[in-house]
Amino acid sequence: MSNRFDDRRPTVLEEQAHAEASQHFAEHLEQFPVSRAAVERLERNIAKTTLAANMAASKPTPKENIFQVYGDGQWHKSVDLIDNICLCHRPITGGVEYAVVEHFPARGTNEIWNRGWNAVEVLKVFAQEQRQALQIWTEDMTAQVKEFLVEKYPGQDMSRVADSFMHRFTHAVSQQHSPSHEQNHNRGIRI
Amino acid sequence: MEPIPKTEEQPAVTPTERLAYSVQESADLLGVNYFSVYRLIQRGKLKVCRALRGKLLVPREELLKLLGTQ
Repeated sequence: MSNRFDDRRPTVLEEQAHAEASQHFAEHLEQFPVSRAAVERLERNIAKTTLAANMAASKPTPKENIFQVYGDGQWHKSVDLIDNICLCHRPITGGVEYAVVEHFPARGTNEIWNRGWNAVEVLKVFAQEQRQALQIWTEDMTAQVKEFLVEKYPGQDMSRVADSFMHRFTHAVSQQHSPSHEQNHNRGIRI
Repeated sequence: MEPIPKTEEQPAVTPTERLAYSVQESADLLGVNYFSVYRLIQRGKLKVCRALRGKLLVPREELLKLLGTQ
C-alpha cells in the first residue's frame, strides 16, 4: 500500500499509532470491505435479481420459503440479498407485490424494509439505504479513530495518522474483488 | 434520642452495568456483524446518541427494546 503520509515520511510515533489503531480496529478493517462489496454486488445485479424475482413469482413457492411477516401476512421468498435480508413477493389482485424483508434471528421475527409493485424500484431504494448505512459506519469510524488516538497520544497531533487510517479503511478491498475492480475503486474515496 | 438508622440507597444501575455501548459492543451483544448494527441505526430501529467526538453510542435500553425484553 502506498505511503499516505504525503509530503514527509511518518515519524516513529505516527507509525506506532497507525499500527496500534489498525490492530485495535482490525475487525472494522476486515468487515467494512466485505459489506461494501456486498452492497456493490447488490447495485450491479439489480436487473438480474429482478429477473430472478419475476421468475420466482411465476412459479409455485416451496413451503419452506413461505413465511409470516408480523402484522402483514404471508410473503414468498424470491432471492437472498445480503445477510439475513431477502427479496420477497406475493400475489395480489392484478399483479405481484415485492418487498425487502429482514429476518431478525435475535427476535425470531421478519420485518419489511420497503415494498412496492416494481421490483427494480424496491431494490434501488434498498440499495440506497445500504449506502447510507455504510456512510454512517464511515463517520462513526472517523470519530472512533480520533478518540482512540487522542486518548492514546494526548497532546500529540495525530491528524495525519487518522487521515491515513481512514484512507486505508475506505479503500480496503474485499478479497472477493477482482484486481480491475480494485483499480477503479482506488481512483477516489467512494463509500 | 435514638440514632436514625441509615437507609441504603439503591442506585438506579449497578456500577458494573453500562448505560451505553459502542457499535462493536452492540454487535457482539446482539450476535450480529457490524453492518447489521449500522443498518439498524440507519433504519431508526436502534436510536443512538453521539459521544463528544461524534462516536455513536447505543443506549442499553435500546438494545433491550430491540430484543423485545423491555
